[in-house]
Amino acid sequence: MPVPPLVARALAHAVLSEDDKELLKKVAVPDAGHGYDAFGLHRDFVALGMALGKPLYNRYFRCVSYGTENIPRKGPGVLAANHSGTLPTDGMMLWMDVIRQAGRVPRPIADHFVPTLPFLGTFFSRGGMVGGSRGNARTLLAAGELLMIFPEGTPGIGKHYRDRYRLQKWRVGHTELAIRHGAPIVPVAFIGPEEQMPQIGRLDRLGRLLGLPYLPVPATPLPMPVRYHIHYGPPLPFADMQPSDADDPARLEEASERVREAVAELIRKGLKKRKGRLFS
Amino acid sequence: MKIRGVLVTGATTPVGERLVRNLLADEEVERVLAVGFEAPETAMPFSYGDRLVYKRVDLSRTREARNLLFGVARELGVEVIIHTAMHRNARHKGGRVHAQNVETLRTLLDLAERHPTIRRLVFKSAGEVYQVQHDLPIMITENHPLNMNRGAPQWVRDRVEADLSACTRMGLTRLEIAVLRCAEVLAPGAGSQLFDYLEAPLCFRPAGFDPMMNLLSLDDCVRGLELAARAFGVQGVFNIPGADTLPLTACIRSWGRFGMPMPAQTLSPLYRLRRSLLGHDFSYGMNRRRFHYCSVLDGTRAHDVLAYAPRVRIDWPAGRDPVG
Repeated sequence: MPVPPLVARALAHAVLSEDDKELLKKVAVPDAGHGYDAFGLHRDFVALGMALGKPLYNRYFRCVSYGTENIPRKGPGVLAANHSGTLPTDGMMLWMDVIRQAGRVPRPIADHFVPTLPFLGTFFSRGGMVGGSRGNARTLLAAGELLMIFPEGTPGIGKHYRDRYRLQKWRVGHTELAIRHGAPIVPVAFIGPEEQMPQIGRLDRLGRLLGLPYLPVPATPLPMPVRYHIHYGPPLPFADMQPSDADDPARLEEASERVREAVAELIRKGLKKRKGRLFS
Repeated sequence: MKIRGVLVTGATTPVGERLVRNLLADEEVERVLAVGFEAPETAMPFSYGDRLVYKRVDLSRTREARNLLFGVARELGVEVIIHTAMHRNARHKGGRVHAQNVETLRTLLDLAERHPTIRRLVFKSAGEVYQVQHDLPIMITENHPLNMNRGAPQWVRDRVEADLSACTRMGLTRLEIAVLRCAEVLAPGAGSQLFDYLEAPLCFRPAGFDPMMNLLSLDDCVRGLELAARAFGVQGVFNIPGADTLPLTACIRSWGRFGMPMPAQTLSPLYRLRRSLLGHDFSYGMNRRRFHYCSVLDGTRAHDVLAYAPRVRIDWPAGRDPVG
């Protein structure tokens, strides 16, 4: 990030409340010697991210979370969530929510194209994001980090409005990693982002020219201020599985389906629980 | 464990010279045979009596290498070769450079395999052999893809070829081979591209990117080589990371330089111009990917097998941790 950490810290401290600052002091951030971890995470940029996201979290999307006791407080873990909303604001809100509720910085696993984006890719990596290669995820889990994965990937965030709350093709990589490392998977369901920016079309060729998988055509120029409900389900420990089961395609598919079904169930319950629509 | 003799190639380079000094300071090493291009009068600015023998040899000439190994090296009872001699200037290319980078190693391997006293060869390879790409892991293990791009400059291609030449011989004969893929040694005369880049008071970098990199101090590099030299019975490829893991902008600031973000497309011609006008070594084309994407060597295997862990930081001119 072109901004030095000192500047990031000053900017963050100008915006964050005393409670936020206290919370951030307690958050453990790995440091490989110069204040950064090997993936580029830096404490001052976590603070800056929190400061920038605060108005969105508190006022715009008015995030409410449920079942936060299910977030692992320490050790490796995987948060597997549904993905939607045309813009990845759900990822940012989940990142903030985990820091606030569990006092640890989750590591979002992003699509391969994200690190190629100038400025954004660097800024996200300072907040803990890493590119979605198997090696990166493996290293982080081995180091006891909490991963944030959207198994639907880009097709999830780019789904048509008519497909809202319908899970897209569910990738199995997160389950494989979790089984191999004995890490629990916490299913997470978002209610709200699926309606924030209805997507009515997409421009694939133009998007690829810009280095993106596609260019969305949303019905609204900005996300609507829908309320975000974040539901954390009980961790799925896969205690019945051995690390070697990660190599068995059938068992892996079955385990992944359990995660998918847990997220789908949380979505069903969350939708039922939501009193009105969109803004409530 | 006592070692009768160690042959160090590239002994007049900063890494080689420090290595020779360290080996001589160790009483368990009986004799050191240092080999370099320099004249004996100027090559080794220190004396250790008959424990140090310096020879001026062009190892790319097979006959000279054979005479060295089956002559003085046999007489001294050399048990370990530490091969650090690689051409350091990225601007130079051609058959002579290739011979020094690759053929020399092949010759040493050939000769050492049938040598009566040599048991072990440690080859100082480089982290630059790895492919750096946005969709590859940031933490680079020894299984990471190598840079086999057709468009890679000879400097890289030679290093990859030499590295693979050593790897393909492992386990085939009684000669034990250890390949150390060292992170970039940020020191003058060590062939560091980054050092040359940081020589300029104004360092242009691609706007919007600030990749993490790992740098190695001379002390740690030499310690890694020493540990590998002593690890009798151990073969394999080992990453040797340094104690400094930091982003490019922090690196520029810590070196007391000013970083100027520029559109990435302008940097290649800009640095080509600098290269041709001022004779600098740094090539942006060669470093383009690592100036965009993070690449940090994972030293777990070296830690577990060789008991290597980086200890000594680079002596940053602008003082330690000026970034906050």
